[in-house]
Amino acid sequence: MRYLLLSLADENTPAPDERLFAEMGAFIEEMSAKGILLATGGLEPGGLRMTSAGGETTVTDGPFTEAKEAAVGFALVEVTSEEEVLELTRRFRRVVGDGVSEIRRVL
Amino acid sequence: MIEAVWRLESAKIIAGLMRVVRDVGLAEEFAQDALVAAMEQWPGEGVPDNPGAWLMAVARRRAVDHVRRERRHDRTHEQMAHDLRDGEEPAQEDTQDDTLRLMFLSCHPVLPPPARVALTLKLVGGLSTAEIARAFLTGEQVVARRVADARRILADHRVDFELPGPPETADRLGSVLEVIYLIFNEGYSAASGDDLMRPHLALEALRLGGTLAELAPEPEVLGLLALMEIQTSRADARTGPSGEPIPLHEQNRGRWDRLRIRRGFTAMLRAREIGGPPGPYLVQAAIAVCHAQAPTAEETDWGQIASLYEILVRLTPTPVVRLNQAVAVGMAYGPQAGLDLADGLTADPALRNYHLLPGVRADLLLRLGRHGEARGEFLRAAQLTDNAAERAFLERRADRIPPDDHAGVLLGEAVGEFLAGLTPSTARSYGQTLHRLCVALGARTPLATVTAAEVGRAATTAWGATAARTWNRHLAAIGSFSAWAQGPGLTGDLRRREQPPPVRRPALQGEPPWDRPGVALRERVLWCLLHESAAPVSRVLALDVDDLDLDDRRSRTGVSWRSRTARLLPELVAGRTRGPLFLSDRRPAPARRPAEKDLCPDTGRRRLSYERAEHLFKQATGRTLRALRSDGVEVGAGRG
Repeated sequence: MRYLLLSLADENTPAPDERLFAEMGAFIEEMSAKGILLATGGLEPGGLRMTSAGGETTVTDGPFTEAKEAAVGFALVEVTSEEEVLELTRRFRRVVGDGVSEIRRVL
Repeated sequence: MIEAVWRLESAKIIAGLMRVVRDVGLAEEFAQDALVAAMEQWPGEGVPDNPGAWLMAVARRRAVDHVRRERRHDRTHEQMAHDLRDGEEPAQEDTQDDTLRLMFLSCHPVLPPPARVALTLKLVGGLSTAEIARAFLTGEQVVARRVADARRILADHRVDFELPGPPETADRLGSVLEVIYLIFNEGYSAASGDDLMRPHLALEALRLGGTLAELAPEPEVLGLLALMEIQTSRADARTGPSGEPIPLHEQNRGRWDRLRIRRGFTAMLRAREIGGPPGPYLVQAAIAVCHAQAPTAEETDWGQIASLYEILVRLTPTPVVRLNQAVAVGMAYGPQAGLDLADGLTADPALRNYHLLPGVRADLLLRLGRHGEARGEFLRAAQLTDNAAERAFLERRADRIPPDDHAGVLLGEAVGEFLAGLTPSTARSYGQTLHRLCVALGARTPLATVTAAEVGRAATTAWGATAARTWNRHLAAIGSFSAWAQGPGLTGDLRRREQPPPVRRPALQGEPPWDRPGVALRERVLWCLLHESAAPVSRVLALDVDDLDLDDRRSRTGVSWRSRTARLLPELVAGRTRGPLFLSDRRPAPARRPAEKDLCPDTGRRRLSYERAEHLFKQATGRTLRALRSDGVEVGAGRG
């Protein structure tokens, strides 16, 4: 089963330092080699937003003030149980420190 | 939670422990201790920061204590303890090497393949015995026994926890690859089953392959990894809504998993960078790449695939590979070229019951416009497959071809008519021969087109290796049928064989087989019962639990026994009230569900088959089960 992990950040989240880059690099390498981590990447904080209503589409530029936390990174993983995805996320959080991750099963 | 940590870390932990204790059983035991400690402490004290390292530290401490104690007791263990670095974490490269050592060990050539698979999944994959049992549709005890046997064999052979030297490395790596591919296929080929454990196996194989590719990035390792990634990419597209197989050229390529394909390509590129002559896995991966690269089935580069098969046939000249080559050649250079190759395989005994051979021939014949033959081959393929969905699919294909009107009487019909006119016992005996012939030649083949040469080839393929007596019996059946049909003779140049005079095998001697150590309860009861009842084997295997009258020591079906069986029986019945008395070890696959009466309603297992029972006895004693009931049995009183 596949899960999409989203890591969320707000304005208080500290910027990543070198140590974090190195640890994250090693973690990503290990998980990709095992075939658990299928894709990952960082996300720009703002981005664009498209809204459609009544056949009309509107594009707005971010950042969006109403959202306190924005997704700043994602990972697509292939695991054998929910327990396993929780353990993976736990390890990820240990590397990045305080913050929030969202875990969504890909259906 | 603890289980999830274990799945991710077990290889490292067991491998690290092996470095200390050098014994699989002990390493597992200390790892188990650490898991128990975690279960006790984590809920109260919270999960440690680095759960993997915590487990490793606890297990290692116990292992080191153990070796110290041993050292005090036994000076010869000094060597063992020599390279202990107490409390110190081994360096990163060491842990990686240890994991590789562990894989080499669990796939060691001294182990029988099922033991290699079980041990690898247990030690390297971190699967529980129950999980492995479910994945292989077998009992937990069976898996536990395989693992225990593996540990014993490794200890008996004093297999070292060291990396093999260069001359041996290729072979040993080959053995690891074989195990990983075996695990993959077990999961992949059953991906439509209800139990999620089986698709998990394919995933587990991918993880093992990925880990191995990191530790030993050899071209063949990367080739296998690429092959598995690309095959997995098609998992969702290869079955329809009701579980029917969808052939490659009809699959919706939009459902292929591009991520997996890309990972496969990456592994291929890494292999290519290393260079060297391609091995079988790399060639198979290259073939898979050709398919993955084709945007539509029509755009497949069959010329390239056919030449890759030519290389593969040189590397692994197995009949199945040659059959696949026939398909590729048929696509690249026209159906006649493919059929020529496929026809060369019809005499191969290994493919005698392989439904894909008539399946492939049917396709090629159809493309050549030989409709009648194609239809017959599809039906023959349908008869041979065990998979219900596949059978329905093949029958549908046959039905779409209109039957020839002026074909006259068909082989199957003629055989049916012939057998109907015989006494039941002759019909049964001749039926075995003639049904086999129908399967080989196609029951829907017009009788008039059957030639002596075809019959000769089918007979030689089916019974060429049997004893003279059996051969002559089959020949007599064919001859009798041929005379009845009044056509041209069908036995052609098949000759009767000289029968050697019968050999009187000595009766069983020495210790009775059921008293031997290590004989499982089911076998003990069966052998004892056969001996005491002198009843036919098939009647004893047909016993149901509710047939038994334990007090009167006999069954409603007329089998009676004496005290030894009577003592053993209650344990085997174990509270059951219905269903077959002797059960197989595994549950049948969904497509192989036997008749209701041969299925235990409580455990879902099927009745023990004659073949299996015979095999087990033969393995144990070298004799057939009938030896147990023959008059001349001379078995000692025994200890029972």
